[in-house]
Formats: sequence, C-alpha cells, structure tokens
Amino acid sequence: MVDKNHGLPEELLNLPDSDFEMVQAGEIKDEKFKTKPVGFFKDALFRLRKSKISVVSFWIIMAIVILSLLVPSITGYTYTEQSVRQKNLPPKIPFLEDLGIADGTRVLTNRKKSSLEDTNRFPEGCVLEIIREYEANGVPVVDVKIDAYLYAGVPEGEYHWFGTDYLGRDLMTRLFQGARISLLIALLSVVTNVIIGVIYGSVAGYYGGKVDMVMTHLAEVLDGLPYIVVTILFMILFGSGMFSIILALTVTGWIGTARLIRAQFYRFKGREYVLAARTLGTPDIKLIFRHILPNTVGPLITRAMIAIPGAIFSESFLAYIGLGIKPPEPSIGVLLSDGQDVLLQYPYQTLFPAILISVLMIAFNLFANGLRDALDPTRRGEEE
Amino acid sequence: MFKYILRRIGAMLLTLFLIMTLSFWIIRLMPMSIFENPNIPPDIQKLLMSEMHLDKPMLLQYYYFLEGIILEGEFGTSVKVRPRMDVFEILSSRIPPTVQLNFLSLLISLPLGVIFGTIAALRRNKAADNIISFLIVICISVPSFVFASLLQYCFTFRWPIFPTLYDSTATSFFGTLHSLTLPIIALALNPIATIARYLRGELIETLSSEYLLLARTKGLTRAQATVRHAFRNSLVPIANTIIPMITGIMGGSLVVEKMFAVPGMGGLLIDSILAGDHFLTVALLIFYSTISLCTILIVDISYGFIDPRIRIGGGK
Repeated sequence: MVDKNHGLPEELLNLPDSDFEMVQAGEIKDEKFKTKPVGFFKDALFRLRKSKISVVSFWIIMAIVILSLLVPSITGYTYTEQSVRQKNLPPKIPFLEDLGIADGTRVLTNRKKSSLEDTNRFPEGCVLEIIREYEANGVPVVDVKIDAYLYAGVPEGEYHWFGTDYLGRDLMTRLFQGARISLLIALLSVVTNVIIGVIYGSVAGYYGGKVDMVMTHLAEVLDGLPYIVVTILFMILFGSGMFSIILALTVTGWIGTARLIRAQFYRFKGREYVLAARTLGTPDIKLIFRHILPNTVGPLITRAMIAIPGAIFSESFLAYIGLGIKPPEPSIGVLLSDGQDVLLQYPYQTLFPAILISVLMIAFNLFANGLRDALDPTRRGEEE
Repeated sequence: MFKYILRRIGAMLLTLFLIMTLSFWIIRLMPMSIFENPNIPPDIQKLLMSEMHLDKPMLLQYYYFLEGIILEGEFGTSVKVRPRMDVFEILSSRIPPTVQLNFLSLLISLPLGVIFGTIAALRRNKAADNIISFLIVICISVPSFVFASLLQYCFTFRWPIFPTLYDSTATSFFGTLHSLTLPIIALALNPIATIARYLRGELIETLSSEYLLLARTKGLTRAQATVRHAFRNSLVPIANTIIPMITGIMGGSLVVEKMFAVPGMGGLLIDSILAGDHFLTVALLIFYSTISLCTILIVDISYGFIDPRIRIGGGK
C-alpha cells in the first residue's frame, strides 16, 4: 500500500490558508522578460533575412514559380496549339520592338530580286530593308530584312514574346508550362527521396548493430552503381513520362539523405534526453520521430534545397538523350534540346530556356547556401 | 596497401556484375521490339530467336548473357543502329574520342581550378576574390550543355574561331584538339569551379591556422609558407571532389559529344536509345560503367597512397 499522507502526521495535512504568510512583502522583484523567446526556426529565419543574396534568390525563385503558374493561361495560346504557317517566328515584344530589340524581324538571304514583287510570297510592307544586292549565276539576288510576322501572315497585334518553335507553337507559353513541369518533377522527386531516405536512415541509425550493417552495405552497393547508368536503365524500363522520370531519379537519389539521417541518429540517440524518454517507456517509433528526428531537420532542409537544382539538371539531361517527357508536353530540358537542333538558325529558341534554367539553378544554389548558413551558423562559409 | 587494392577491385567487380544483372533483367522485361519489322518472315524470326537464345527459359538466357560477356567478351550484335554488326566492334572505334575528351577536360580543370582557388583565397574579399567567387557560382550552377550551346553559337557562328563540329579527318593531334577545344571548355567549366570553390575554402582556413603563423615566425616569407605548408594540406581534401567530378564530366560528355558531333559513346548511346536498340544500349552502359569505375578505382588507390589514413580505415 502506498502511504497517501506521504508519511506526514494527520494534523499537518489540513492547515488553513490563513496560517500562511508571504515572506516577501509586496510584489515579486523578478524582472519580466522584455522580449519573446526566440526559437530555432525564428532565429534561422532572422539570419536568412539578413543575407541579401538569399532574399533576392528567394524572390527570383518565387517569381519564376508564379510566372510558371500564371503565364501559360494568360498568353492567349496553349502549349500544344500548332500553326504551320507561323513556325519559327522570331520574338516580338510590345514596347521593346520600338527600340529595335525583339521586333519580329529576320534577315532572309539569297532571294531572287524579282520575287520581292510577288505579293503572294512577300505581302505588302513586309520588306523593310534591302541589305545587300549581288548577282549569283547571272540572276540578281538580295539579302532582305523582313517583318517575319507580316511575312507569315500573322494578324496585326498578335505577339509571340519569345517567338515560336518549329511547329508554330508559342514559346513563351511552352517555356513556362515547361518550367512548371520541371519544377514539379524536381519537387516531387526530392520529396520522395527525402521520405525514403528519412525512413531508411532512421531505421539504420536508430537500431544500429546488424540491421545497420546490412542496410548500410546495401546502400553502399547501390551507391556504387554509376548514377547515370542506373537512371538511363530505369527510364528505358519505365518508358518516358513525368512519373517515370521521378521514379528513375528516386532509384539511387535517396542514398545521400539516408546517410545524413543515419549519421545524425548516431549523434543524438545516446543523449540523456533520449535515455530519459526511453526510461519513461516511450515506444521506439515515437523516439525516432518525436525525439530524435527533429534534430535533423536543419541539415535535411539544406540537403533537399541543394537536391532541387540537381533534379532539374537531371531532367534536362534525360531530355537531351531522348528519355525526357512525352511530347507534346514541354519541359525546360525538352525545349533546350529542341532548340539545340536549330541553334545556328534560330538561336532565340535556345536562348530563353537556357536563361531560365541558368537563373533558376543559380537562384536555387545561392538560396540553398544561404539556408545552410542560416540553419547552421557554425558552418558559415564552409563547403559541403 | 595490397589488401586495400584487392578489396577495391573486388567491390568494383561486384558493382559491374550488378549492372550486368540489372541491365539483363530490365531489357528482358521490356516487350521485345526487335522484330517490329513485319518483312522478316516467321521462320527467319525463329532462327534469329534461337541464335540470340531468346527461345530458352529466362534463367538460361541470363546464364548465356553472363557467359558471353565474361568469357568471350561477346555483347551480342546491334539490331537497329548498325544492323548485324558486332557491338564490340562498333564500340571499339567509339571509345577513344570519349576518353580523349573526358581526360583532357579533367586534365585542364585541375591546374586551372587550383590557380583560381588560390588567387581567390590569397586576395580574400578583394575585387579578384569577388569576381572569381561570382564566376564560381555561375559555373557550378549552369549545366554543361547550356555552356556548350552558348560556346557553339558564339565561337563557331558569330565569331568563327573554332569549327562547329568535331573534325574526324584531322590527321595531327593539334587538328583534333582544335575541334575539341569548345567541348573541352564546356565540360571543364564546372570542375574548374568546383575545385576553385573547395580550394578557396580550405586555403582560407589553413592560412589562418597556427602552424602557418609558426612558419612565418620562423622566418619564411608569405609565399614560402603558403606553398610549402598551406598548399599541401589544402590539396589533400580536394582529392575528395575528384570522384564526383569524373562522374559529372562523363555524364555531361554524353550530351556535349552529341552537340559537337564527336564520334564518341555519347552520340551512339543517344542513337541507340532513340532507335530502341537495346543490346547496343546495354553494351554501351556496361562499357560506360567500366570506364567510370576504373577511373574511380585509380583515383581511390592513388588517394590511398597520398593519405595513408584512408587505407587503414578501409572503405569510407
């Protein structure tokens, strides 16, 4: 039997309140905290905000995300809409066209001079300037600068900001639709990798011993396979398409995360607070997810952020070697590799996707660096 | 040391075996598309099937596949890209340009990366450092195939300094090198930046260490102290970055080769994937793995010589 009175005599248990008196007369002199307590993430956010580069790259990423969500529905074109007559149009942007940049003109070389009179081929007003006149095989030929939009019979007031591709599809719509798909692939593959890596790494790190040995060796063997080879093999198996790409990027992508999580578990599982929780009878699953895993969130976020540009790169790489997304769906990689085929004739078809992917990757890398410094100030300036 | 090398080779062979197994099952699990051509009469199809052991049970096919590769170096014949041609023959002409390209890129990126990294570290937070650091971020982020497009447009079309495509008729080494310059630059920019970034970080840390102060106090000049003491210690960790760099270069070269029409493995791989010539694809992937694993093995072993702690610990 437990002694309900904790061993105290009966008369001491029922003392009236009036028998008690404050030792310190008046108010308690402890000073109140003037500031609110600052948690880990608030602290990190504060540090992140102080770094100008991180803030700028964050807003660049957000701008691209918002553009990729908005642009495909406001250009007035769809990404599959083809128009054979309007193929390979150069870029034409309102206002900029008055400055002579992106004004929808193109130079045609080696045309018969007499054909300029033919209004079926050269509609009225489309010839802007004759650049060079010369003779070839006794026939007078010219190089002319034309308004490609009039030449192709595009109605007045229609603009293709980034031009059109070889099927006459509006490149701006396709580019941002492609950015949407590329970002989605990157995000989904990274999330999948993180989930698998966290579970695998937690189990290996938490249980240790034989379980850990087997799991680590398995991961090491998988990691030894050249990444590109495995990805290509699985793409061949799954066939092209968005989910195949995500799956193929997941086959070996989770190993790095698993290794990181495992190392963190080894660092934290021996701590006193974990021992205390265990002594109180906390089940393994709760120990893993509630007590140890939160410690790994910082490095995990950083790692995921660094993995996103990597996934965008892999997607483009696969598109280049013909294992990308199914046409007519665009992705940045598909547009780049399509543009590459006509690079010397129509450089703008490569230019815009190239700029977008470069800006996106630079912004993600810079943001990830800033995030790492913010989440772990002791490692500031260090490389991975 | 000998034991360490043996263990690394063993691990490499295991990995190669795994790749072969994986490739075999993946290709066999695919719907066979070899006989899409309806012009092949059924009896010839049957003959072809038995010649390729396609009519036998899966496990036996697997055995034949492994036996062919390991004992006879036999990878089968190409079906679509170069019909009826031995895969090994096609490959043997394709490997030298790829190896040349990859090796040269790696070769120029090491000294350049070291030079830029050192300059940035010694001129820390000054103009030179800021410019180099800015360029490093760009070169690390932008994919090699974007650089390849840019270089191709600028230096073969706008200012035609280099030939647009690989010149396979060049007789001299310099002729080949001239046409390989742009792909080499495109592939090397990323490794140069990686090395420079790493070295900069390492050197900055080493330069503020106490043993460097000691070196200065005992009368060495700044240059002497940097070269003899700081440099050596900073170079060792750089070996860590070389293996991922090799993988990066080899991957990038698959695409860049295609762009510049270098008759290497990259273009062939893309052709075989697009044509659905799976035998060729698998053979290419196995060869590709062998080359990259061998390179990694060499780096790994030489790293064991440089830093004895590695081989005592074994593995990672």
